[in-house]
Amino acid sequence: MKKILTLVVLSFTLTMNAFAAQKLDVEVNGLVCDFCAQALEKVFGKKESVKEIDVNLTERYVRITLNEGKEIADEEVKKLIIDAGYDVVKINRVEE
Amino acid sequence: MKRIILGVLAFFWAVPAVARPVSYPGGWTLMASKHGEKSSVHYHYSPTFKDSIGYKGIYDEGADIKGHAFQYNRLVKRWNNPMSQANFYIKSGAGMADKEGALSGLFFTGLALDWEDRRYFTSYENKLTSYGRFGQEYEQSARVGIAPYVAEYGALHTWFMLEVKNDPKADEPVHITPLVRLFKGVHLLEVGHSFQGDVTLNYIYRF
Repeated sequence: MKKILTLVVLSFTLTMNAFAAQKLDVEVNGLVCDFCAQALEKVFGKKESVKEIDVNLTERYVRITLNEGKEIADEEVKKLIIDAGYDVVKINRVEE
Repeated sequence: MKRIILGVLAFFWAVPAVARPVSYPGGWTLMASKHGEKSSVHYHYSPTFKDSIGYKGIYDEGADIKGHAFQYNRLVKRWNNPMSQANFYIKSGAGMADKEGALSGLFFTGLALDWEDRRYFTSYENKLTSYGRFGQEYEQSARVGIAPYVAEYGALHTWFMLEVKNDPKADEPVHITPLVRLFKGVHLLEVGHSFQGDVTLNYIYRF
């Protein structure tokens, strides 16, 4: 009985993690105007793994929300931002 | 009425000297401007954030010259800082000029530099244009700007700017123009009136 309960709890936890919305906060240099923000929205908007992108010009970061069960590597995030014309300072992954 | 139609046509024939001549990868930009008797339109596509290629149409009402050109813009260097950005561009084009039905080659090249943060703006650019047998011209301009408030992304951005333009061959070589820039979403509009009496209109649409 104890084993069964442990298995149920474990599988529930794994399932919840798999569907947790993953967010990335990316600190970016060079964000000074709405055209910069629009550029990043367009670039990340084409990615299937990205659900939403929120550009904060005041705090100079980009929050990327991923679709459930989807992933994006830090290197890909960095490449997309650099190819759009901006510099990445730091990437923080946030689990919610 | 004829003047109004010519004015509208001139505006949409306009040449831009207003904002970044290169967009994000896959981005299109329409830039139109008018200053006094000179106007132009520039429609370009950016395959990378460092390059844009497109069409440029120019109309100089005073000299009665129209031109059509292929234009290439290159972002030579960008400096991304935590609170600001600076850029160095080279803009060149080649095509044909038409003066009262006669044709000639058209070539232009120039550089542009800008620095901005969310409160202050400054820029400089120059351009040498050769109309072949119709002559050539050189002009340069510099700007400073200030935003009275820092708007969030998506809100209306307002800038007050002062532009000094130098055209050594013109009757009045120096034009000083106070401008208001309104920027919201994908639209950027500038309206100004020089102390020498010329109206300036610039519009950018990026998509």
